[in-house]
Amino acid sequence: MEHGNYVHSLLDGVAPDWVPGWAVVVSTAAVGVALLIAFVAVLAMFSVWLERKVSGHIQCRYGPMYVGGWHGWAQSLADALKLLMKEDLVPIGADRVLFVVAPALVLGSIFGALVAFPFTPGFFFADIDLGIFFILGMSALTTIGVVMAGWASNSKWSLYGAMREAAQVVAYEIPLGISLLVPLMVAGTFNLLEASQMQAGWFGMKWLVFQNPFMIPAAILFFTAALAETKRAPFDLPEAESELVAGFMTEYSGLRWSFFFMEEYAAMFLMSLVAAVFFFGGFESPFTHLAQRAFVGETAAVADLPLLYQLTAGVVLFAKALFGVFVMMWLRWTLPRLRIDQVMTMGYKYLTPLALACVLAAGTWEAIF
Amino acid sequence: MRGPTTFRQYLRNVWDGFFTTLIGMRITGRYLLQKPITVQYPDERMPIPDRYRGIHYLEQEKCINCLACARACPIDCIEMDAIRHGKELEWVSFTLDYQKCMFCELCVYPCPKDCIHMSTEYTLVSTDRSEFVHDLLSFKGMARDARVRMREAEKKKAEKVAAKKAVAAPAPAAGTEGAKPEEAQEAAAEPAAADAEAGADLSGDEEAQA
Repeated sequence: MEHGNYVHSLLDGVAPDWVPGWAVVVSTAAVGVALLIAFVAVLAMFSVWLERKVSGHIQCRYGPMYVGGWHGWAQSLADALKLLMKEDLVPIGADRVLFVVAPALVLGSIFGALVAFPFTPGFFFADIDLGIFFILGMSALTTIGVVMAGWASNSKWSLYGAMREAAQVVAYEIPLGISLLVPLMVAGTFNLLEASQMQAGWFGMKWLVFQNPFMIPAAILFFTAALAETKRAPFDLPEAESELVAGFMTEYSGLRWSFFFMEEYAAMFLMSLVAAVFFFGGFESPFTHLAQRAFVGETAAVADLPLLYQLTAGVVLFAKALFGVFVMMWLRWTLPRLRIDQVMTMGYKYLTPLALACVLAAGTWEAIF
Repeated sequence: MRGPTTFRQYLRNVWDGFFTTLIGMRITGRYLLQKPITVQYPDERMPIPDRYRGIHYLEQEKCINCLACARACPIDCIEMDAIRHGKELEWVSFTLDYQKCMFCELCVYPCPKDCIHMSTEYTLVSTDRSEFVHDLLSFKGMARDARVRMREAEKKKAEKVAAKKAVAAPAPAAGTEGAKPEEAQEAAAEPAAADAEAGADLSGDEEAQA
C-alpha cells in the first residue's frame, strides 16, 4: 500500500510545474538525509548527557553540572567539540583502509536501519514493506564494522573485543529475530507504518503487547537480546572498560571514536524504537487518536493530517523509545557484567529455546482465538 | 561450573534471572530517585566536625613563648621569636611550616596556657612554596595592655630605685630637726622628679618603638 510522505507532498505542492518528478524525490531524499544526520547527532549527544546523569544519580552523585549552567546540558557539546579537535591517529601496522572504513560502516548501517522507521504517520524516509526484516539486516552489519575495527587496529585488546563481539552478535541474532516473530504473527505485517497504525485506539488496549499473553515474555526476550546486540551492559564485553581498555575501540580517537560512540547510542535508540513500534503502540497514543478523529476522521489520507498531529505522534514515539533507552541505562548500573561463556550460554541455551517456545505458544494461541 | 541438571532447575534459573534483575532494578531505582549526597565543591562545602585537625590558630595574648609546642612537634614545624621585656613579650614571629606539618595535634596538648588550637580550615592552596610557612601572629610587637603593664612595671621600678636613692642620700646629711621635714619634702620631690624623668625617658622609648 502506498503511503503518502508528508515532506514529499509538501515539496510537490511547493515546487513549480517545470520541476520534474524525480527532482522532487531527490530533494525529499536530501532533506531526509540532512534531517537524519542532524537527528542522530543530536540524539547521540543527548543520550550521552542522559547516560551520565542517570549513572550519576544511581550512584548518589550528580552527573555533569557545570558546563552550560542547568545540570551541565552543554557537556556533550563541549565533548563533541573536543573530539573534533583531536589528532586523527592511525596506528603503525594498522590496515589503513579497514581502519578508516570500519567506523563509517558501523554508523552507516545504523543510519540505514533508521531509514525504515515511521516517526510520524506522514513523516518517514522510506516506506519499506519488509521494514523489520530490513532493520534487522542493517543492524547486523555493524558486526562487520566491529570486526574490521578490531582486526585493523593491530592490537591484542581490539582483536579480543572484536572476536567477542562477533560471537555475541551471532548468538543473539537468533533470539532477536525469533522473539520478533511473535508480534509479527499478531500484527500480520512487516511494515512498520502499518504495524503502528494498527495499534490505534482504545487508550492503549490495542497495543500489540496486550493482544496475546505470550507477547510479554516475547517483549522481555526481545529486550534482552537487544541489550546483547547493542553491546550494552550486562553484555558489554566487547568494550569492557575494566578488562580490555576499550575493546575494539582502543586504537580509535577523536572523530573516529565518536562514530563508534554515536553508533552505540543510535543502536540503543533503534532497538527501543523497534520495541516501541512492535510492542508498545508506535506513535499511536490516546492524544493522537483523538486528534485524528477530531480533525480528519479515521480513513483520511495521511497527507491531510494536520502538522500538529504529526508532531504529537513523533513526540510520543520518541518518548517511548527514550524510555526504552532509559531502562537500558538503568540496567547497566544494576547488573554485573557477564563472562563471555555466560553470555554464550544465555544466548544459545536460554534465550533461543525460550524464544522458540514463545513463538510456538503464541502461534497456538493465535490459531485457537 | 555445572549447568542445570533438571528441567525444573532450568526453569528455576530462568525465573531467578528475571526476578533478581527486577529486585536489582528496584534497588538502583531507589538510589536514582533519592537526592545525591555529593556537594558542589567549591561553591558548597561539606560540614566539618568541630574537633577537625585543620590549620592552627594561636591566641597570641595568652602565649608565653615557652616553646612547649615547638618541642612537642615531631617534625619541628614551629618556630617562634619574641623579645622579653620583664614579664611582657614583644612578638617578632610565630611560624608554622605547613610543608612539614602532619596535622597530628601533638602541639596542642602541651601548651600550659591552652592557646594553640587547630581550626576547621583546611584549604591550603598556593603557587609558591614560601606561602606555606604561615605566621600565626595576629599582630607584631607588643599588645597595647602589655605595653601599658610594661610601662607600669618600669615606673614602679624607677620609683623603687629613686626611693632607695632618697633613703641613701639624706643619711649623711642627718642634722637639725627642721631640716628633716624639708628633707622629707625633698625626698618626696626627688621621686617625683625621677618619675618625670622616667616618664620622659619612657615616652621617648615609646616613640622610638612606635
